Amino acid sequence: MVSRVVIFREGIDGDHSPLYVRGDILQEGINPMKKLPASYLPLLLAMLVAVTPACSKKAVQSGGDGQTFQQETAKSGTMREGTRKGGVSPNFPDTAFSGRNDSSGLRGLDRDPSEERLSSEAGSNGGFGGNGGSGSNGNKLMAKSDPGAAARQLAEIRAEQIASAAAELRDVFFAYDSFSITDEGRHALINNAEWIKSNPNTQLKIEGHCDERGTSAYNLVLGEKRAKAVRNYLVELGVAPDHLSVVSYGKERPFCTEHVESCYSQNRRGHLVVRTGN
Amino acid sequence: MTFRTGVIVGFCALLGLVWIIESGAADVFLEATRPDFQKIPLGVVGIDHVGGPESPEGRAKLGNRIEEVLKADVRRSLVFSLVDLSNLGIKAGGRGGEPDPSFKQAAENGVSVIVWGKAGMKADTKTPDVSMDGYVYDAGSDEVVGGKRYAGSTSVVRLMAHRFADELVFRYTGEPGIARTKIAYVSQQGTAREIFVMDYDGFEARQLTTDGFLNLMPHWSPDRRFLVFTAYRNRNTQEIDMIELATGKRWTLVSQGGLNITPALSPDGHFLAYSSSHEGNAELYRLDTRTKAVLRLTTNAGGDLSPSWSPSGRELVFTSDRSGGPQLFLMSADGTNVRRLTFDGDYNAAPAWSPRGNWIAYVCRTPKKEYKLCVITPDGQKRMQLTTGHGVDDSPSWSPDGRHLVFSSTADGKSQIYMINADGKDLERITFTGTHNSAPTWSPAS
Repeated sequence: MVSRVVIFREGIDGDHSPLYVRGDILQEGINPMKKLPASYLPLLLAMLVAVTPACSKKAVQSGGDGQTFQQETAKSGTMREGTRKGGVSPNFPDTAFSGRNDSSGLRGLDRDPSEERLSSEAGSNGGFGGNGGSGSNGNKLMAKSDPGAAARQLAEIRAEQIASAAAELRDVFFAYDSFSITDEGRHALINNAEWIKSNPNTQLKIEGHCDERGTSAYNLVLGEKRAKAVRNYLVELGVAPDHLSVVSYGKERPFCTEHVESCYSQNRRGHLVVRTGN
Repeated sequence: MTFRTGVIVGFCALLGLVWIIESGAADVFLEATRPDFQKIPLGVVGIDHVGGPESPEGRAKLGNRIEEVLKADVRRSLVFSLVDLSNLGIKAGGRGGEPDPSFKQAAENGVSVIVWGKAGMKADTKTPDVSMDGYVYDAGSDEVVGGKRYAGSTSVVRLMAHRFADELVFRYTGEPGIARTKIAYVSQQGTAREIFVMDYDGFEARQLTTDGFLNLMPHWSPDRRFLVFTAYRNRNTQEIDMIELATGKRWTLVSQGGLNITPALSPDGHFLAYSSSHEGNAELYRLDTRTKAVLRLTTNAGGDLSPSWSPSGRELVFTSDRSGGPQLFLMSADGTNVRRLTFDGDYNAAPAWSPRGNWIAYVCRTPKKEYKLCVITPDGQKRMQLTTGHGVDDSPSWSPDGRHLVFSSTADGKSQIYMINADGKDLERITFTGTHNSAPTWSPAS
């Protein structure tokens, strides 16, 4: 049912007339649904279905992510502590804050000052070196990091690029502030869907990308909307959802770094990657 | 001011702050954040370079380097105004910290505080060792009120100046100062983006992660021991990680599938607010860091993200596109009492609640489609645009004293990190190297 529903919200860019005026603020707190326009109802319904556990595996909105994610966690991450499959870690240190002392590690001016020995991080009191601790902990930074990680990532990215180039999968480009798939994008995806269906053992990752305008955080949301729009259309075209995963890179991995529209338009894309190995 | 009166003043200030938060009064300024606050005129006679060889790292003499850092700290404190003593006939402070008779003349010319000192390499130790003495003359009492003596390796030269500056701020305001605070940020390394930490003035940068892919949007724990941030496991899924700065030890806190972004620990450290799309679209959640229980805070068709805690921990401001473009909304920390805060413009995002509680900084899109910094009061009554011109401004974060903001901007081409006063004055660029520095987040005061 829901898996056949593809929802695009049009007209994201351009002017948005506010849905609420100041006088409505209090009402919104009482009944947030009241003021929503009718065009949101399908989206709301889809979401209600998606959060119902019995339906979630079938739902396009959440099922694909959840399944992919579980495969992911089963294979990965030995460096991290406290990781549990799917969700919230049961085990990480207490971040509770008891409050800072009045002098904040400062000892005050003294008419006959005795020598205070400073070390690179412990001297800053708290944070790096613990509360006024003695000795330097500064050099222990990155003790747990894996120096080979960067090289491994690069090799894996290269392998993905080669496999994706061989598949001749086409990217989908979006308008400014929009996650609606254009006619051109549909043509590209029809082409891609044929290839995917004829290569049933392939796992694909759909990356959502944005141009550099706007905030990093909101572009991650927009990038996910773009990636999901691409996935939903591929599913509409008959691609099995469990072959597709989505990930948003927001504006953090641009294809082009000039500050011009010709570059921006290249960065607003849904990019299909053939996953290799992991 | 004795230590005891300092404690009493501090306690009263705390009571005042609690009262302000309790009463819900948003438009209250404290002390030095008040526009009519008179800065204390302070002059630095000089940090003399004494004995031993010059500093090995640079051509400038050690004393000059410390003096330069100290003056910049004093200027940025916004508690003092830096007075040029060169026209007042001031001679250097006497030996052993005795005031020079010429100081009285400076006092008559309105200088309230005079600082001087000396610094040099210690010759009698095996490793190169630095010592610094600093003295403070107070014109009000016409006496040397005290001094400091620091020693350490050559790597703590800047820290000596920072620490002395914070002692000055503490002596005159009872506040800890910001000269020893840090800024965590994201920096491009090859094709990867990694988490770094630097001093608040842009120096002493250190790399914390070496994942070789993307690490995004770090945020401090209130005790400064940890950073929480978004990482990408094997490039394909996001998670929220925590790293301990002293050890580099790392934990995965949240890995729920879909987006896991914009983590923010509450002021008491008991809750992690974050945005996740594992139940459909991006919604806000609150993880209890003790019980590990998760509470969903938002339920609607729009994306909800970027939570920022009020200083009391009772409210959150966040970004939501439930009404079209992204706008700021407020709610109680349990997800109730949601109301929209911003109505000007069609794009308002990345909110940061000031530590004083009286302002919320955010990114606003101007009619010319520029992304700039704005501030708004939590009651929505006052709004101000802080930056102008070209470039995308992003990720505002307050200094713990509430007098500054740090943010990223592409104003000079590549994304770099800048500092600005809360009133929009004194724009200062603080990163100059690399191809991309972004997502700065200011540490709490120590």
